[in-house]
Amino acid sequence: MSAVARSYFEDVTVEHVEETPALTLTEAHVSIYHGLTRELAPDPALVPDLLPLCFTPGLGWRVPKPPLEVLAFMGLDWQVLRQLRVGDTIHSRSRIASKRSMRDGGVVVEEREVIDQRGEVVQRGRFTYLVAKRSKENQA
Amino acid sequence: MAELRRYFDEIQTGEEYESPGRTVTETDIVIFAGLSGDYNVLHTDAEFMKQSIFGERIAHGLLGLAIQAGLFTRATPAYATLAFVGLRWKFKGPIKIGDTIRLKAKVLAKKETEKPDRGLVTVQRMVVNQRDEVVQEGETDLIVERKP
Repeated sequence: MSAVARSYFEDVTVEHVEETPALTLTEAHVSIYHGLTRELAPDPALVPDLLPLCFTPGLGWRVPKPPLEVLAFMGLDWQVLRQLRVGDTIHSRSRIASKRSMRDGGVVVEEREVIDQRGEVVQRGRFTYLVAKRSKENQA
Repeated sequence: MAELRRYFDEIQTGEEYESPGRTVTETDIVIFAGLSGDYNVLHTDAEFMKQSIFGERIAHGLLGLAIQAGLFTRATPAYATLAFVGLRWKFKGPIKIGDTIRLKAKVLAKKETEKPDRGLVTVQRMVVNQRDEVVQEGETDLIVERKP
C-alpha cells in the first residue's frame, strides 16, 4: 500500500465546515473551458455557469488535509443564483450535511456554496459521494 | 449573420434532440484536471486505477456534465437563454478514455414566471456512451426569453 495519507468515511464529521482559498476567474479559464466543451458564449466576459461549479472540487484540494477516498461521485443538485464575470474572485464553502453507512463504503452529502469577492453566494447546491471505508490494511 | 435563437414561445414540451457523438480523450481529462485543479487519483493515476473497480482512469463527472452542455449546443439551435438556474443530476456510470458520448435531451416542462418577458424551460438530459448505456442523467432549468 502507498504511504500517502488518505481520509475515509469514518473520518467524515457531519456539520464540519470548510472554507477554501480563492480563485480569480480569468479570460484564460473561460477560453480553455470553451475549447474543451464547445459551450458557446454570447459574451466572452461572461463566465459559463458550469465553470464555477467545476472549480469547487479543485478549490477543496487547496485546503491542506488528507484527500477523501471518493469511490464515485453519485449526484448533484445545483442552483445558479447570479451570473459571474471575468475578473470576479470566487471561493467555496462546504458543510457535511449527512453521512450514511453502507456495506461497501458510505454515502456522504455535502452542501457547497460558491461565494464571490463581495461575500455573496452566487451558486450553491449539494454533492453526493460514495466514500470508501477504512479497510483493515488501511487502519492506522 | 443572423443568429437563430429560439424563444420560449417557440419551444414545445416533448421536443427531443440528439447530439453528435464526442470521444472523450486522455487530453480532455488532463486539460480538465489542469483547469479545475481536481487531481483526484480517479482521473490522474493510471497505476492506482488499475487496482480500482473501474480498472483505469475515468473522466471527472463534472467534465462529462460540461461536455454535455456543449453537446446541447450542437443538438439544437440555441435557445434565447437568459439564465441557467439549476440542475438535478445523477452520475450513473464511468466515462472512460476513448468512450464516445452523446446527449439525448427532451423538453420536459415549460412554466410561466413572475416576469412576463420570460419563462422557465426544464430539459431532461441523458448522456449515453457508445454502448447506449446511460452514464449521466438529469434535468436542467433554463430561463428563456419570450418573443419580443
